[in-house]
Order: sequence, then structure tokens, then C-alpha cells
Amino acid sequence: MNNSFLRISIWVYLAIFFLYLLGPLVIMSVTAFNSSAFPRMTPWECLTFQWFGELFQDQRILNGIKNSLIIGAGTVVLSVAMGLAGALMLTQIWPKLRATYYTIIIAPILIPGVVLGISTLVFWDRINRMLGLGADSFLSNGIFLTVIGQSTFIASYCMLVLVARLQRYDIALTEAALDLGASHAQAFRKILLPFMRPAIASAAVLAFLASFENYNTTTFTFGEYPTLTIELAQKVRYGITPAISALAFIIVALTVFFALLNEAKLKRQELVAVARKKATVEELAGKIKLPSFFAGNMAAVLLVVFAVATITVVGTATAYNPGQCIANVKEQKRLEAEQRIQELRKQREEQRKKREAEAAEQGDAQQSAPKPSNNSGFGNVFAPNALGGDAEEESSDTETPPSNNGGFGGAFDPNSLQNDQ
Amino acid sequence: MPGFLKEFFNRNGTSMGLAILGLVLFWTIGLIILPQLSMLDFSFRPNLPPPEIGGPKDVYTLENYKYLIYGPEGGSQSYNSVDLRVFFRTLLAAVCVTIFNLILCYPIAYYLGQSKGSHIRIFAIMLIIPYWINEILRAFALRIIFGETGVLNTLFMGLGIWDTPFDFIRNDIALYAGLGYAYILLMIFPMYNVIESLDGNQIEAARDLGAPWWRIHWRVVIPYAKPGISSGCTMVFMLSAGALAAPQILGGPSSLWFTQLIYQQFNDNNDWPQGAAYAIVLLVTCILFVLAMMRLFKVNMGDIGK
Repeated sequence: MNNSFLRISIWVYLAIFFLYLLGPLVIMSVTAFNSSAFPRMTPWECLTFQWFGELFQDQRILNGIKNSLIIGAGTVVLSVAMGLAGALMLTQIWPKLRATYYTIIIAPILIPGVVLGISTLVFWDRINRMLGLGADSFLSNGIFLTVIGQSTFIASYCMLVLVARLQRYDIALTEAALDLGASHAQAFRKILLPFMRPAIASAAVLAFLASFENYNTTTFTFGEYPTLTIELAQKVRYGITPAISALAFIIVALTVFFALLNEAKLKRQELVAVARKKATVEELAGKIKLPSFFAGNMAAVLLVVFAVATITVVGTATAYNPGQCIANVKEQKRLEAEQRIQELRKQREEQRKKREAEAAEQGDAQQSAPKPSNNSGFGNVFAPNALGGDAEEESSDTETPPSNNGGFGGAFDPNSLQNDQ
Repeated sequence: MPGFLKEFFNRNGTSMGLAILGLVLFWTIGLIILPQLSMLDFSFRPNLPPPEIGGPKDVYTLENYKYLIYGPEGGSQSYNSVDLRVFFRTLLAAVCVTIFNLILCYPIAYYLGQSKGSHIRIFAIMLIIPYWINEILRAFALRIIFGETGVLNTLFMGLGIWDTPFDFIRNDIALYAGLGYAYILLMIFPMYNVIESLDGNQIEAARDLGAPWWRIHWRVVIPYAKPGISSGCTMVFMLSAGALAAPQILGGPSSLWFTQLIYQQFNDNNDWPQGAAYAIVLLVTCILFVLAMMRLFKVNMGDIGK
């Protein structure tokens, strides 16, 4: 097969793949800046920042963020502690038990989150009842249940991260400390813990993110403390607004920022290590010339570009006023709507005439009907056939429809009577 | 005290040993084993108001499981066709999503695993970033795209490919795309880990011996990557069968996911034992299915999760 053809097809495939992966996020972020009340890219109306303002005034979102932070902190502490204990246990457990033990602590990753949430809820409810506590006790508190439920499987993630580093630990270090007179607790705190610190940090970040975005387990356990994810799900399910896009944009931007920052730091460490290795003895003795921060560090360059872009956007947001543009769009929409109403009116008029003609033919059979007449006079516009008999009375008061030349047309319409019965 | 416990305390000291043991026991027994057993027990009980729990009516019953198969007592149909159909549809759809993800991700995992260079790290970041965005927001993003006035419909109608909006949500296309989208990383990562450790010389050797590219994959790469492939497939299958957010947001009004039934039993019907029974059925079926598949493709349990 032709080599260059293969190469091109690989790049095309990669492009499609990353389009599928990143495209939705980009589109969602862009919709946060469109003034259309429904999140969409097209038709583009006006560049606006109003959705961000709306987002920060939403009490439920702010409350959700607060709950998420509390639950996240609790989950990080509990699951890192359990993960570390689990990892330590895994390295020393009796070999015959090892496989069983490993299966048990890895299982929560594979158990559906829904099942974990339900089992947590059912189990602690039962404990609560056995202890004879009321419905408002600590054990049925939403925060407690959510932390417990999330930690069940997040601890497994932490354990996997920690055990990878623990396998490189030289147990002789602890033994040396013990021989030199340290207590077990001291050896743990001064030797093992510093060695594990990078892994603990990444486990903590992982645990916090997993807790922050968890939905399946939390949805059963949150009680009266809905997290941000729960609030988002409620909003998305019952009507979506660009304010959610605005939140998404903030989260995407933060994620990209921290990912680039982390990558730039790692790359820099690597470059420094390489420079140290290459340096001569004199250079090492004196001041070694470290590579500058940006040299050969693509992530750092991207990071700076990203930061500049963010500052520009925020700067524009404070200075920019989309009022005129929004007014224009509104005016245009009003004109369009008016045009549509005109057309509708014409159609209705024709229909009414047709119907009146029919009614005249049928004679006065309907006059004897006992239904009190609906004298609002707008019945004809809200075609009773379409809305159903009940909706007509409510809607005729709330809005002022454009056409009113029918008089009692709707009330004497035979179809409307049929609907009411 | 058994020997190994004594040794454990000798090695860690009494206080540290107790702390480790306490945490591990709390996690394994208090958080993993007991709640699952408690749920199992709960699923065999009738739905009673709180004062009657523990009373004479609180006896074991198969009612909740019977309900899934036969429907409400005295119902018009002999089987609970609605719930059963949802159940099998969920499993089938989860299998389809898994296969789709496998086909989509295998070339990427192979490419990332076998090529060297600094651009690979940027690709890795691009892979991980969507994974850290909230699950709900990812589903929301797809809803913007697949909606009736969404990007895709506007695009295709603008190009004149079709002239009335195509309802992606009602046809479940949005749902499958969303589920596939959510678990891409979980499919790629285990495969990438294994393929990365494959010695490139083996591929070279096969190529020198005249194997075409597809046979290299079939005979060299795939057998080597089998543990990674099975880990990825297991994770994606379990997670998409147990997904709740994507079906709630992207599912059409007429199509339900089995987890949504469980959710309804808990939150709308307030019938916890029934919900617990459904959850048990889902869990057990998924585990049995995964084990059967592993037997079929001759994968060892120990290879998973490596």
C-alpha cells in the first residue's frame, strides 16, 4: 500500500477523531457568547456577556458550588486516607488473601454508580433505623451520605494511583529509620509520607475532580444538599439556557489552563534535568545556565497565548456593550413576528369567513345550547380546535391578540361547543 | 492472634497498624460489602411504610423480581413487556456502544502507542481535557449539536442535504453518540498502555516476512493487546449500561434506559425495594455478561485492571 496515502489517512482519521472529541466543547463554549435565548451557534445574533452575569446571580448554582466544594473536600480526605491504607495493605497482605482482597477493592470501579448510590442509601438508612435515630440525624444527612457513597469508588482510583508509586518504595528506608530509633508513626510521617507526596497530590486532585463531576451516585444520596452537578442536571433536563454554556466555558477554560500549566511544568523539569546531565563539571560547580522557560516548551507557549486570550476576553467584556446590537436584533425579530402575525391574521380571516358561511347553512341549531357565551371575543384567534376547550379561557385573558374583528365569532362556532362538552 | 496479623502489627507498629487495618476494614466491609448485601436483602422485602418495617408483614418475598418479569398482578399482559424490553434494549445498546468505541479507539491507541515525539503529549492532553469536563455538560454540548435547531441540522439544511430538521434525539442517535463520547478515554487508555509496551521489532519482523498490514494487526498487535482491549471493553460496557445522565438528557421521550427505571422506582414511585431489585438484576446481569465474554475470548480475570 502506498505509504503517503496511509499517512494522509491517519491524519484525516486523527482530525475527525479530535473533532468529535473537542468539537462539542468548542461549540458549547461559543454559544455562551451568543445573545440568543436558546444556546445555539446559528443564527448568530450578538456578541454578549450577559449570560455570565446571569450565571453569577443564580443562587441555586452558587449554592451547588458551595455544596460541591464541601463534599469534594470530605471525599478527598476520606478516599485518599482509605486509598493509602488500602495500598499499604495490598503490599503486605497474606499472599493467599491477596487476589480476593484486590478484587474487592477494585470492584467499586466497575459497579455502576447507580447501584453504589442505592446501596449506600439503603444501608445507612437501615443503620440509622437500627440505632433508633430520627430522619434528620447525622447518618441520613445528604453531605455525609454523598461523601460516603462517592468515597466507595473514588478510594479505588486513589488506591491505584498510590500503589503504583508504593511499588517503587524501598522498605529498607523505613527499617533504617526504625533501627535509628524512630517510632513507627515517625517513620511513616518522615520517610514514607514525603516519598508518597507526589502520588498523594495527584490522587487528591483526581478524587476532587471525580467527586465534583459525579452524578450517578450523588443523585440518590444528596438529600437536601444538591451539588453543582445535580443542579446542572435539573436545569439541563427542564429547559436549557446559555447560562449553562457560560458555566461550561468557565470550566473548559479552567481545565485547559491547569492542564497546560501542569504540562509546562513537567516539560520544564525534563528540560532542566537534560541540561544538568549535559553540563560540564565547571558549569555545575558555578552557575549552570538553565534553558529559558519557553525554549522548546510548546505547552508553556500555549499557556501564555491562552492567558493573553483570556485577559483580552475579560477586558472586552468590561468595555463592550452589546445593547445596540441586541436592540437591532429585537427590532428585526419584532418586524418578522409582525409579518407572521399579518399572514396568520389573513389566514384566520379566510377561515372565519368559511366557517361563518358553514354556520349560516347549519341554521340556528347551536343557539339553543346551554353553554354561556364566552364574551371575551378573542376565541377565534386561539383556535379552539387546536388548543382544546379549556385552554381557551385562560389564554384569552393573558395576551392581547392582534385580531379582534370577529366579535363573538368563536363563541358561536359549533366546533368550540363540541370541544367544551 | 493469627501469625500474619502479628507480623502485620510488628511491621507497622500498634497504632499505625490499627489505623491501617481500621480504614481498610471500614472501606471493604463498611462501604463495599455490607451495603451491597444490605441492598440484596432489601430487594427481597415488600415495600412497607417505615412503622411496619420489622413487623409481621416484613417477610422475604420474590415479589419484586416477579414484577420485572410478569408485571403487576392481574395485569393484562402475561409478561412485563415494557420493563423487559427496556432492560434488553439497554444491554444491547451498551454492547453496540462498546463495539463502536472499540473500532473508533483502536487506531488512535495504536497510533499513540507506537509513534514517538512531543506531539503525542499534546494529543494526550487533548484526550484528557474532555474527560475532566462535567458529565452533564458533555451531554449538554451534544444536545446543542443534535437539537432540532442545532448545529448539525442547520448545517445539513443549509447545504440542502435534507429540508426538514432530522430529529436526532428521538431516533436515539444523540444518545449513542453521547454514550460513546463519554467513555472514549476509558477505552483508549488501557489499550494504549499495552500497545506502548509492544516491541516495534515484532511489527517490523512481521512486515519483513511479507505480512499485509491487516494481518500484522490480526496476528501480532491484537493478540498482544488483548488484556488492554478487554479492560477497556469491560469498563465501557459496565459504565454505559449503568449510565444515567446521558439517557436522561439525550434520550428521546419514548426511549428509556434501565437505570432510568431504577431512578423512577426510587424517586417517583418511592418503592425502594423494587428499585433495589432492579439494581441487583442490572448488576448481576452485567457481571455475568462480562464473565461470559471473557470466557468466550479466553481472557484471564487477572489481566483486567493491570
